[in-house]
Amino acid sequence: MTSQGAKLSNYTGAPQQRSFNPYSDNGGTILAISSENFAIVAADTRQSEGYSIQTRYAKKCYQLTDEVVMAVVGFQADGTALAKRVKQRLEWYYHTHSEVPSLASIARMVQTMLYGKRFFPYYAHVILGGIDRDGTGAVYSFDPVGSYERESCRAAGAAQSLVQPFLDNMVYSKNQTADPSVAPLPKGERPVLPMETVLSLVIDAFTGATERHIEVGDGLQIWTIVKGEGAKLRELPLKRD
Amino acid sequence: MNHFPSTSWGKPRNDALDPYASFPIHQGRPQTNDVFADGVQRTQQPIVTGTSVLGIKFKGGVMMAADNLASYGSLARFKDIVRLHPVGEQTLLGASGDMADFQQVKRLLENLITSEALQDDGHALNPSQIYEYLSNVMYQKRSKFDPFWNAFLVGGLDHDGEPFLSYVDLLGTTYSSPSLATGYGNHLAQPLLRRALERLGPDGYKNLEEDEAKKIIQSAMRVLFYRDARALNKFQIATVTKRGVEVSEPMEAPTEWGFAEGLRGYGNSDETY
Amino acid sequence: MSSIGTGYDLSASTYSPDGRIFQVEYANKAVDNSGTAIGLRCKDGIVLAVEKLVLSKLLVPGANKRIASVDLHAGIATAGLLADGRHLANRARDECESYRDNYHTQIPTKMLAERLSLYFQAYTLYSSVRPFGLSAIVAGWDAPSNADTKEKKAAGEPKLFCVEPSGVYWGYRGCAIGKGRQLARTEIEKLKLEELTVEEALVDAARIIHTVHDEAKDKAFELELSWISPASGWKHAPVPKEVADEAEAKAKKIIEEENEMEE
Repeated sequence: MTSQGAKLSNYTGAPQQRSFNPYSDNGGTILAISSENFAIVAADTRQSEGYSIQTRYAKKCYQLTDEVVMAVVGFQADGTALAKRVKQRLEWYYHTHSEVPSLASIARMVQTMLYGKRFFPYYAHVILGGIDRDGTGAVYSFDPVGSYERESCRAAGAAQSLVQPFLDNMVYSKNQTADPSVAPLPKGERPVLPMETVLSLVIDAFTGATERHIEVGDGLQIWTIVKGEGAKLRELPLKRD
Repeated sequence: MNHFPSTSWGKPRNDALDPYASFPIHQGRPQTNDVFADGVQRTQQPIVTGTSVLGIKFKGGVMMAADNLASYGSLARFKDIVRLHPVGEQTLLGASGDMADFQQVKRLLENLITSEALQDDGHALNPSQIYEYLSNVMYQKRSKFDPFWNAFLVGGLDHDGEPFLSYVDLLGTTYSSPSLATGYGNHLAQPLLRRALERLGPDGYKNLEEDEAKKIIQSAMRVLFYRDARALNKFQIATVTKRGVEVSEPMEAPTEWGFAEGLRGYGNSDETY
Repeated sequence: MSSIGTGYDLSASTYSPDGRIFQVEYANKAVDNSGTAIGLRCKDGIVLAVEKLVLSKLLVPGANKRIASVDLHAGIATAGLLADGRHLANRARDECESYRDNYHTQIPTKMLAERLSLYFQAYTLYSSVRPFGLSAIVAGWDAPSNADTKEKKAAGEPKLFCVEPSGVYWGYRGCAIGKGRQLARTEIEKLKLEELTVEEALVDAARIIHTVHDEAKDKAFELELSWISPASGWKHAPVPKEVADEAEAKAKKIIEEENEMEE
């Protein structure tokens, strides 16, 4: 083929476009674990783009009500926009009904808000943690277009693939040789872990992820939501390298 | 509000366009399809651009620096462009990226400040409120696939007198830090700024004096001039303190090119040409 | 009144046989019922003063303002229907913003007055609308375009206009509208406006409003003062409380002294 022929065949008639990419990935990891009467939601505070750390002080957790905390990871602008809208919806809800919706209701609302942008999605992974209608700790996790389920433990974000297997192993005792002296957990029932155990699991999960993933580190925010006691934030340093 | 009686007032509702009468009639009728919609173009790339902006907090204020160059591709097109812009009395906006979009943003903010001033209530917007507005604008524009092609730093003294410094870009991405830099500055200068602050311990900027901050910023601007091909050794430094917003006259950082004298070829090559 | 019962006063789009539009004349009545507003164009700026009648003791001080800033360099004082005044202020703000967007300079005061007058006039043409029950004093500072320094701003000049319900507008050195306009105009005519500074005229403005106020008919009023002056950075702004109080006190003293002289 002549060079001219090659040119002609390449010509499609459509104008050349370099299209604008409205998304970015800002790294970071979130996780949530629930137990009988509490839930923990945690996130690191690093925000990055490519190999650059944008800030070491980014918040990914938002307290929505006394007993519900939301964590968002993915594209920061979408994450904060979503969180802002969720908070606004909750405010409107409060003004019309003089009460705060339950965790299950908030979860359903988040799903409709995410699916509402099904064809221009929020590039955000959401995890809700708190106390549910049944009075137990609960975790709801979402994909970017709103598919969701209630779980008792979930990690999302950059180091999801590092943290989730660790949690499966430690929380659900997956891939462990069963201790013959302990009765096995009935199928579908979640393990009842004390707060101290879960807290150290969270810290271990994040220090581990910080070691092995470049987009995780700088600081750790841990929200503990205990039934009847509300939500409390603790902050710990993580390695900044 | 449509103030003209002749354009919409007194006309019947159009049930074909608004079957449930959901529009109050005084707002006129909803727009019909724009026949030129196919011809509307949206920004696909920046044209005339400014490079990095640096920002750092210090004791009692915020400092920013940006050079005076606006490039047209690799051509150094305009050499006296001011990229540090005061917004109201207590806020400073530093812009990199497309200079036309920057001018449009300046106009938006001017209107925001003016309409706030016209209330005659003695209240003026503080930097965090201006930043919130700007980041909402940036996110809305990106969501319309028609972004303002910029990365901005917003600095100032907030309502509580605390230094404020934040970043927002064309994607609507937002973040804050005691030191910030856009574009190449994020790679070349930000590590220098961070090192300077980290030496001063946690919340290091609270121990950083203004003249010290100026030295750090100036040396960072020199590094940028050495290594960023779109940078110019003519730049301005601006501060926001209790004194208000002060944008300096253009200045230079002293440079040293003596080492280049004996250089031949590239790198460590012994070859001479 | 000759217009009543003839049927020629029911619509702004109907002339009377002798060529009058009664609806517009009625609109002027609405203006004449309102508390007085005056504007003084001095050598270095402008003073606006309004006799704001307080309709109820339950109102918060400063409520229902009749002077509004419409751009950094311009403001309007209105006499007539309060709500029409606020609507006009919003319209004026839109006009100022639109001019700024198009030309990147502040609108010349004459242009603003003209655009507002065109707006007024549009409401005299249709049977579906009512003319504005409003006269507006438009004050502005015309500085050279993009005046950013003190010197450049000071090089500007003050401008004063008054727009009437019919849609006519005139430029003035000093003007008065509302209830006490006749007396106020006589008082303004006595002033040497070309020689007065804004700070001096402030006292005269306060004095005139106090003089024209009819205590027998209207009880309480608030003196509303705004200015465009070197002290306000050539911006239209409410006169700071201390300055306004001082001017009002001086004005009251002058009135007292005049009364004593008469006795």
